[in-house]
Amino acid sequence: MNEPLLAVRGLEYIYPGGVVALRGLNLSIERGQKLAILGPNGSGKTTLLLHLNGLCKPTRGEIQLDGQPVGYDHQTLNHWRRRVGLILQEPNDQLFAATVSQDVSFGPLNLGLSDAEAGERVREALEALRVAHLAGRPTHALSFGQKKRVAIAGVLAMRPEILVLDEPTAGLDPHGVTHLLGALQQLYEAGTTLVFSTHDVELAYAWADQVAVFYEGAVLRQGETALVLGDREVLRQSRLRPPLLLEIAEALGNGGDHLQSAPRSREGVLALLQERLAGNS
Amino acid sequence: MRAIDHYAWTNRWRDWHPVEKGLPAISLLVLTLILPPLTTAPLVLAGAMLTTVYGAGIPWRTLVSVLAAPLMFLLAGIPFLAISVDFASGFDLALSPEGLQLALVTALRALAAMSCLAFLILTTPLTDGVLLLRRIGIPAGVIELILLIYRLIFVFSERALTGRQAQAARLGYSRLDRSVRSLGLLGGNLFQRALEQARRLEIGLMARGYTGELRVLPPQWKPSWTRLVAGMMGVGLVGLASGWLARSLS
Repeated sequence: MNEPLLAVRGLEYIYPGGVVALRGLNLSIERGQKLAILGPNGSGKTTLLLHLNGLCKPTRGEIQLDGQPVGYDHQTLNHWRRRVGLILQEPNDQLFAATVSQDVSFGPLNLGLSDAEAGERVREALEALRVAHLAGRPTHALSFGQKKRVAIAGVLAMRPEILVLDEPTAGLDPHGVTHLLGALQQLYEAGTTLVFSTHDVELAYAWADQVAVFYEGAVLRQGETALVLGDREVLRQSRLRPPLLLEIAEALGNGGDHLQSAPRSREGVLALLQERLAGNS
Repeated sequence: MRAIDHYAWTNRWRDWHPVEKGLPAISLLVLTLILPPLTTAPLVLAGAMLTTVYGAGIPWRTLVSVLAAPLMFLLAGIPFLAISVDFASGFDLALSPEGLQLALVTALRALAAMSCLAFLILTTPLTDGVLLLRRIGIPAGVIELILLIYRLIFVFSERALTGRQAQAARLGYSRLDRSVRSLGLLGGNLFQRALEQARRLEIGLMARGYTGELRVLPPQWKPSWTRLVAGMMGVGLVGLASGWLARSLS
């Protein structure tokens, strides 16, 4: 098996107040994959994501980058955060500058790039998120969906190998979700590894290569999307419902050994349904 | 304040270098102060207002409402300049010609000066002006602080507004005593949120490699000598017209 790009081993984190957020958590993030971290609210997803680029220091356990345990000294952290970009759920926690292009330039300038190079990165990132037309706008005049995309562009401009997103679709309308996923899909196709947390099983099923099901600070099971989401026992334990598309596919005879070949899009399931209906008549 | 900010970011001259707007505006202001006010001030007032509306494309209504606020103070203060009190013969209130003239001159000057500043704030976002401060040697830390406060004002005014609405929806402002209580609770809550927001913003910035300096790319202005010279010629024209008017009237 390939060595994971980023791995979490036996991670434990206890908040200063004594609240245990993560208890002995293991997770592997493989290069070029879309990994969904699936779990209910308050299960520790955000705390885990903060560990992935060193914003939280584990109480016990370690995080490995390219198989090497990472340290927490200034230089290592800088190197680490350059490779792993984190986008918070609330864009207001990230946007601080007066205009969109100024805000996006913050990360590249912190990498020590020249003004010209940073400007190039800003243009590229805004275009990738399809918000180039907002470049000169003041950040406070943006809609929520626009703020979210600009916040992602701000991290993308640092060209991370792994993009970690906390609840990227939360608070967006269906059009906003489609727009955002389209942009993320392009990044994925260009080779960026994506990790995102969500409690939306449908999204994870339709979009992720791998799923890690999370409950009360530990990963119950990580693996290929269809296999994990077809595991009723794991879903029941983590209080999640199986995705509707998967249930329909199962009902149409795609269960058991055929789980992995079950269609994962609406269109696929509808086609399957029509095929069966035509066959029965 | 929202309206000023909105037009400052969206007016026709938004992308001009702030000096191209600032220098003529300040020069007009200086003209108002040093030249004879009775002829200069009306010209400056007209010039500044017409430029704001027809040049930068700010609606009349907005310009008038921006000028209206300081005008209130002016109207409240001016009558006391016109009236003279004489204590020699007991207590005597009088309207003197000199007093009237003083009141008129002060009012015209103030109004003209305000119109110059209104032009500036309606066409130039605060942050553009602040960035110029760096050129004249204000430390980067102070400028970062101003820009951060500017950004957070909007985050918090939004929170304050929704907080107030949530309270009002539950009848928090239905009586005077309740209003006082609700307002106090809202203030306390906003303070807590401010601390929380600061902590989370720091996390957000650290994720992008923040190490204590908030450096961003400066705006890409293309300064134009043509515009600056044209602006200053306009100012010169107002000065000449005022001088000619003063001579022909005397």
